Amino acid sequence: MCVFRDGKVCVPRGGGSEPEWGPRGASLPVGVSAQLTMFRYQSLEDCPLDEDEDAFQTLGEEDEDIDQFNDDTFGAGAIDDDWQEAHERLAELEDKPATARELEDGAVSDEMELLGHHEENLAERLSKLVIENELEDPAIMQAVQTQPPMQQPGGLNSSIWDGSAVLRRFRGPLLTQEMPSVSVLEYAMPQRPPQSQEDDRDLSERALPRRSSSPIIGSPPVRAVPIGTPPKQATVPNFNQQILCPKPVHIRAPMQQRYPSPYGERMSPNQLCNVPNSSLLGHPFPPSVTPVFTHLQRAQLLGGAQAGRMSPSQFARVSGLVCSPLTSMNPKLLQGRVGQMMPPASRFRAFFGAPPPPAPPPSQQQHPLCPGSHLQNLRPHPQVFRPDTTHLHPQHRRLLHQRQQQNRTQHRSLNGSAGDRAGHRSSHHEQLRKDPYANLMLQREKDWVSKIQMMQLQSTDPYLDDFYYQNYFQKLEKVSAAEEMHGDGPKKERTKLITPQVAKLEHAYKPVQFEGSLGKLTVSSVNNPRKMIDAVVTSRSEDDETKEKQVRDKRRQTLVTIEKTYSLLLDVEDYERRYLLSLEGERPALMEERKQKICDMYDNLRGKTPGQERPSDDHFVQIMCIRKGKRMVARILPFLSTEQAADILMATARNLPFLIKKDAQDEVLLCLLRPFSLVLYHLPSGTVTSLLQQLANLPQSATVPAPANLHLAAVLQNKFGLSLLYLVLSRGEELQNSSAAVELMQDNQWTELMSMATRELLRIPEAALAKPVSTPSNLLSLFSRYVDQQKLNVLETKLQLVQGIR
Amino acid sequence: MGVSPPPQPFSRQLFYSFFKSLVGKDVVVELKNDLSICGTLHSVDQYLNIKLTDISVTDPEKYPHIGRLSVKNCFIRGSVVRYVQLPADEVDTQLLQDAARKEALQQKQ
Repeated sequence: MCVFRDGKVCVPRGGGSEPEWGPRGASLPVGVSAQLTMFRYQSLEDCPLDEDEDAFQTLGEEDEDIDQFNDDTFGAGAIDDDWQEAHERLAELEDKPATARELEDGAVSDEMELLGHHEENLAERLSKLVIENELEDPAIMQAVQTQPPMQQPGGLNSSIWDGSAVLRRFRGPLLTQEMPSVSVLEYAMPQRPPQSQEDDRDLSERALPRRSSSPIIGSPPVRAVPIGTPPKQATVPNFNQQILCPKPVHIRAPMQQRYPSPYGERMSPNQLCNVPNSSLLGHPFPPSVTPVFTHLQRAQLLGGAQAGRMSPSQFARVSGLVCSPLTSMNPKLLQGRVGQMMPPASRFRAFFGAPPPPAPPPSQQQHPLCPGSHLQNLRPHPQVFRPDTTHLHPQHRRLLHQRQQQNRTQHRSLNGSAGDRAGHRSSHHEQLRKDPYANLMLQREKDWVSKIQMMQLQSTDPYLDDFYYQNYFQKLEKVSAAEEMHGDGPKKERTKLITPQVAKLEHAYKPVQFEGSLGKLTVSSVNNPRKMIDAVVTSRSEDDETKEKQVRDKRRQTLVTIEKTYSLLLDVEDYERRYLLSLEGERPALMEERKQKICDMYDNLRGKTPGQERPSDDHFVQIMCIRKGKRMVARILPFLSTEQAADILMATARNLPFLIKKDAQDEVLLCLLRPFSLVLYHLPSGTVTSLLQQLANLPQSATVPAPANLHLAAVLQNKFGLSLLYLVLSRGEELQNSSAAVELMQDNQWTELMSMATRELLRIPEAALAKPVSTPSNLLSLFSRYVDQQKLNVLETKLQLVQGIR
Repeated sequence: MGVSPPPQPFSRQLFYSFFKSLVGKDVVVELKNDLSICGTLHSVDQYLNIKLTDISVTDPEKYPHIGRLSVKNCFIRGSVVRYVQLPADEVDTQLLQDAARKEALQQKQ
């Protein structure tokens, strides 16, 4: 029997005794209690339905029982209030699901039946699952080891275990595996927020299950924890219980033959109390150290019990661990320790309170080959660490697999024979077997935790949220595709990474309301953050800022401009994608926006001068002095119109020596070559000429014969400059060859420029000449027009214009 | 009201996204306790907890117990990481900058 604070008495149907439901049943003679197994957890599960509680209280029969067990509950037996709080929590939990309410009344009697069910074998259990499903009572469900596959969203278990409706259904196949436990987590759930939420989001709203207050949560059970009592030991718990019975230790009777456990032996947390107690006591610690021990024992047990509750697989593991020693130890220990066990055992109640009851008593069906089964379970563990790659970008996956294969071949070559590997494997198994940290959690629990994490990562806009990853692999794919294109003709099917996108849902916060109260409670929660401080945000306008000191710092100003322009650039680059995603009607607006942004960018680049003239390149030069400014310009160029781009080019050419000097450290100018060449391609001849002029730094009007053109010289000595010059020349040559050549030929300036250029080229010592990125092939023909053969030869060798030399 | 817990702020997702792209690469994780662990990045989560496989302790092996096991995998809590040393060619700095800029934009909004 178990007694609750409220005085309810619940007597679950234990082994051999008649099922008696406290409030409804007769009073229980003391003597009977000795034989009754006390199912604290079951009681907790079954009893705490608010409505029933009230009913219970009214019944007078409880009084005797209250007196009877009061001491045990509140006197020496009680340590702290954890279990009570947990019970209340549990009660609340069970209140929440709307479905539970309906079933409460019917639930009680059903619960009794259910209790009986626990002792039936799996086959019957399964057949009854359907019925149980219909009940949908959380209390019942909690008593059920396996979660029925189809549960209402509001169901306690389903909502906890399955974060989303999609995932909710998967549990069916896990039937056998799920025996283990309605996990501790479910019971330890703190009060849920008002249940008007979407079921899909239920999980997200819940705080992580509160673990028990014990500080040693989750510590692996001591190797001595005899969680896995072998089948022969099945009777032992009974024995224990008999001994322990006088105390209202809420220990669940061993549920024997419940389910075939895939994980081997398992013991209910309660059994842990009994059995492990002794073995815990016996094993690592001498009995004399009782007080310390108790605490430790508690902790161990708690850890073990928790673990047990958490996952029978852990039991399995431990059972695997302690199978042999345990069998021998247990009876001895039990007998020896019984006395000592009492106080600690009762104290365990407190701890068990925190993590609630539950776990459906693990099956007593001990596999004779417990280590084997354990190993079986562990075998899936990767000897080869095979991560789940389904969520990765296909390109990423490919890379990973390649890598893995490489490693594998490496290993194979290193390891030689399979024997080595087997040995390796067995040692691995050895480690696994002895690993106290293995199988602490059920797969289901692991999934549950993962789901919580994953839910947090659900994004409404995966493109933004996962920007780097997606784009990175897109680029990689493009590169590899480009390479492939060179090789084979047809493009192979390129899979795309599709990130599930969760629709952004608008949620109106509905504040908690109590009936009959005036106004609304404002409870601050994560979904409804309340303003705590009345802070007024004053943002300075642009004008103000310009008046500030920042203006004085030119470089900083430039940096700010660059960043602003970058934002625009990113937006503009994004437009194509947006365009595809948008509706027909929105598209013109998008185009307009895009154009506007491009203009803004250009203005930013050149400095916003209201006048027609752009007198100074200063602004632009400043931008170009900064590395990221140069990169940005390179990226902007493709978006600009031809004139704008030409303007930029001119400005660059005009100031080239200066920029070159500034670029000495960064050497980033080269990134401009590619966009520049693209621009050049579109330029008319006149512009090309002027461009060349700029490069040569000749005033438009007159040719100034100078001994040496420093400007040009500087240009030639720089990689970028020389490359740019070549590009321009090459373009000019192209134009000459084309139909538009007529203009160019007639253009004196061009001729002059060419002679100047050649002169300079000849003059410069070869050593000083920079190495261009690429030498256009038509330069030779270009030069041949303007220089005589001798000089041509010189140029040839100097510039390595002929293919062969290079 | 089924509002999901606020997803990780975009700032954290930037690094999460970044590290995701490095899965499968060799990295050296330097912890705040000055321990450096070299290994292959197996997985990362939004808290930047890191799982490494095939780990080895770089630098003098002051922690030989790690070295004794043949196959070594480890889980490192994100909060204890000081540095993560990455192969430079696996990173697209331009893209990273863009991502950071986008994130900054988002945060402003």
